[in-house]
Amino acid sequence: MIRSASRRVAAAVMLAAAVAVGTSQVSAQSPAQPQAPPEFPLSALAPANLAKPRPKPPFDLTGNWFIDNRPGIQGWLFGPAAIPKLKPEAQKHRDAYLQALKEGKVYRDDIGQCWPAGMPIIMTRVWPIAMIQLPTAIYMISEFMNSLRVIYLDGRTHTDPDLVVRTFNGESIGRWEGDTLVIETKNFTADPHHWVDQGVPASDELHIIERVRMINDGKTLEIEMTLTDPKNWEGEWKGVRRWNRVDDHDIGEVECLPDLNEHLQSTSSKVHIR
Amino acid sequence: MAKGLFGAALIVACGVTALAHHSPAAFDRTKEVKLVGTVKEFRWQNPHTWIELLVPDEKGKEVLWGVELTSPTYLIRAGWKSNTIKPGDKVTITVNPVRSGEPSGIFRSLQLPDGRVLTERPARLGTPDSK
Repeated sequence: MIRSASRRVAAAVMLAAAVAVGTSQVSAQSPAQPQAPPEFPLSALAPANLAKPRPKPPFDLTGNWFIDNRPGIQGWLFGPAAIPKLKPEAQKHRDAYLQALKEGKVYRDDIGQCWPAGMPIIMTRVWPIAMIQLPTAIYMISEFMNSLRVIYLDGRTHTDPDLVVRTFNGESIGRWEGDTLVIETKNFTADPHHWVDQGVPASDELHIIERVRMINDGKTLEIEMTLTDPKNWEGEWKGVRRWNRVDDHDIGEVECLPDLNEHLQSTSSKVHIR
Repeated sequence: MAKGLFGAALIVACGVTALAHHSPAAFDRTKEVKLVGTVKEFRWQNPHTWIELLVPDEKGKEVLWGVELTSPTYLIRAGWKSNTIKPGDKVTITVNPVRSGEPSGIFRSLQLPDGRVLTERPARLGTPDSK
């Protein structure tokens, strides 16, 4: 009996020793401090955020807006006809586009293949854009593929580069400057299907400043866009475009269905260079 | 002058037309082709409405043509409805053909059996001329 009791004691001592060793091993492996969980900004739709006192903005652009292309279609892509001085890799794409044009072909019409248009082109598509302005953010939904932009007005900054999820429309932060809404958009995708103009690619270093004014008695938005992309062109590429208010249309669902192009033979036509 | 599938090639002015979804550069705007055939399918949808039309060629063999139209937003403003045409209807459609010679084109006009002609409104909202 004594023997079994000793065995039990010995077993308990050994177990305790094993636990002590185990614990000290765990302590040696764990970090000195536990990692803090990431902090998330208060949602733009959180009641507490919406209720914060803020100065009245100079205008409310809630409404549907449609690009004004009356002077004649300036391409179906962004901006003036003048393309800035392109970097060599971008110039290759532009040259390929110009060559294709000469041959009656179409170079890299990725949007037609259901790739997102991305910024800035999503703004100049011939589709209405629904804009909903809250004190904390402006939600823009293009009817084209129901593509979304959110412009945060609640004082947050751009997401930590280690956390940000890069996108075709980029991440937009806005602030009011007098009668102008100034929007800074960056954190774009590096996906090679993102284009700024015919044969002009966009990179993850694309950076866009928009200066938005409401004019013409609230019937027109005028936006001056300044684009930089050191990987693709030199300096700033500026353009001014206008959007007119549309009160007799509401946006609906528009999807690029996987079988869409089976019935639009021109998008699978031999004229396309992919 | 050849009858049927390929009508006379007319020089037509470059007009504002559906740039709804993809590059319009695939189409030859200087040519117009008249298609006389039977509707196989009519899809009233965004971003593009489309019609598939069975058109007999010179030998009488049916060729399936794909015709692209604009968004219903602009068709409604031009008098179309989702039941304006249906499979089996015999219609005449004019298109600007795709440059490659494949049986595909972008819509210019539709003539219905009762003689009515429908076109499209340009893809534009918010201006006085877009009402």
